[in-house]
Amino acid sequence: MTFWMARQYRSVRYILILVSIVVLVPVNRLSADSCMKCHQEIEGAPDSPTKLIVSDIHYRNAISCADCHGGDPTVGYEEGDPSLAMDPEKGYIGVPSYNEIPKFCSRCHSDVEYMRERRPKLRIDQHQLYLTSVHGKRLKEGDKRVAQCVSCHGAHGILSSNDVRSSTYVENIPGTCANCHANEDYMARYGIPTDQYDEYSRSVHGRLLFEKHEKSAPTCNSCHGNHGAAPLGLASIAAACGQCHGINQALFDKSPHFEPWKELGIPECIRCHNHHLVLTPTDNQVGVGENSFCIECHSRGDNGYEAAAEMSSAIDSLKMLIDEADSIIRRIEMSGVDIETARYNLTEATDRLIEARNKIHSFNSRTVRDITKNGISKARHVIQSAEEAGEDMETKQKGLLFTSILIIILAGLLFLKIRQIEGRVNK
Amino acid sequence: MEGKVKTRRSLLNWLLTGSLGTLILATIYPIIRFIYPPDKPEAVRNTIVAAKVGELEKNSGKIFKFGTKPGILVYTSGGDYRAFSAVCTHLQCTVQYEPTRGDIWCACHNGRFDLTGRNISGPPPSPLEAYDVAIRGEEIIVSRRTG
Repeated sequence: MTFWMARQYRSVRYILILVSIVVLVPVNRLSADSCMKCHQEIEGAPDSPTKLIVSDIHYRNAISCADCHGGDPTVGYEEGDPSLAMDPEKGYIGVPSYNEIPKFCSRCHSDVEYMRERRPKLRIDQHQLYLTSVHGKRLKEGDKRVAQCVSCHGAHGILSSNDVRSSTYVENIPGTCANCHANEDYMARYGIPTDQYDEYSRSVHGRLLFEKHEKSAPTCNSCHGNHGAAPLGLASIAAACGQCHGINQALFDKSPHFEPWKELGIPECIRCHNHHLVLTPTDNQVGVGENSFCIECHSRGDNGYEAAAEMSSAIDSLKMLIDEADSIIRRIEMSGVDIETARYNLTEATDRLIEARNKIHSFNSRTVRDITKNGISKARHVIQSAEEAGEDMETKQKGLLFTSILIIILAGLLFLKIRQIEGRVNK
Repeated sequence: MEGKVKTRRSLLNWLLTGSLGTLILATIYPIIRFIYPPDKPEAVRNTIVAAKVGELEKNSGKIFKFGTKPGILVYTSGGDYRAFSAVCTHLQCTVQYEPTRGDIWCACHNGRFDLTGRNISGPPPSPLEAYDVAIRGEEIIVSRRTG
């Protein structure tokens, strides 16, 4: 073995020893404590604490049973007397009561110094927020059916929210809430609906999360909060939606609907878009057609009705023109013509259509019309250039067809002429 | 002897006729495909000259045509070129570079992306498609990432 190899070998050995110390020592410490030894002997079920705890984030970070439940884990097992470990004088608490659990967890999770040393990124206001939540308030009133820490996180198999198996992993959050909120029997006494999960799953947000696995898609806690979970009040609906859809919120706030809706207590965004079942909006939801939301309040002759009709007509005109341009471009693309520029220019018209749809939230028909006018002019220009390219190609195709036929006829005549000359020579 | 000559001549005739037929087919086939083209669109463009070196000032961006879709080339304050699809992942509006904040902004619904293309706020659910940028001589070449 060369000197260099020996040195490498020593380095690897030191690294392995270091890793063993970091990984194995805490685990050994825990598996050697009397709580684990006794409970492993008396517990057999796969969901028993000693089975679950091995994957628990606390256990993995060397937080022992006694760190939560108190007592002295160094005694009891060898002596054959568990009461030595579970001695109240040594701080043994045992199993906390249902309504004591938030306080129980917050001993560490609300301790700034403790958390800073271990998980400085984690928030420490969960308990404070929980007390403001509907769950927290009801728990305080003695309702032992409402959610507290372990209802969502589990008790002995708590995983990091970054772990895909965790009940608080972003894709699992709706299911975690649905454990209670989609249970009709469980929720019966609270008189609240249980179709939120079903509606959310079918919504644009739910489909983004479940079908496209977009981690930034909003889930229950994006609007309701998590530890401070509460229904959205009238005033906070727009703020919740505005977290992502800020421009729409800003437009609505300046619109003629803002004040009257506020006075009438009409919930802003969800009046038209629903709350859990937020679907992709369609153009016929605006205007005066039978599927329009506008005619639910506005009737023929009032300003709102006229504005709705004008906005709808402006958007329809632009949309039809874009569809026409798209179909022309598609036809010409298929004929092998390079029509990239027309297709590219059409994106400007499409941008105007999206902008106009967005500006509906201002309920200002003139703004919407001006934007669509701009889009219509761009779409017309695209149609014109696409048609010119198509006509040019058609002329070339026809020209080639004509020339080809002419060449074939000439070749045939030439053939006949040669045969005639050959016949004369033979005679 | 005469039979041998006849066999050789018929072989030559056969070869000549075959060659002529092949020539006619090779001429006519592209003509027919031009007049009656195949029912499929043009291939997607994978590389383009997005700008010339020196065309962009630092902390600015440029929208360029990349096939049928817009792309965005950003010359960062740090002197790097970055290129992305300029099609917002929310509702497909065209995004733009915002020098005051040094990020990419979609005016339609106030979506924002950082200079790695990652969606950082607003409704866009996913990042912008990132392209590779290379400088060849005086040209800034943008290419789609393969694989």
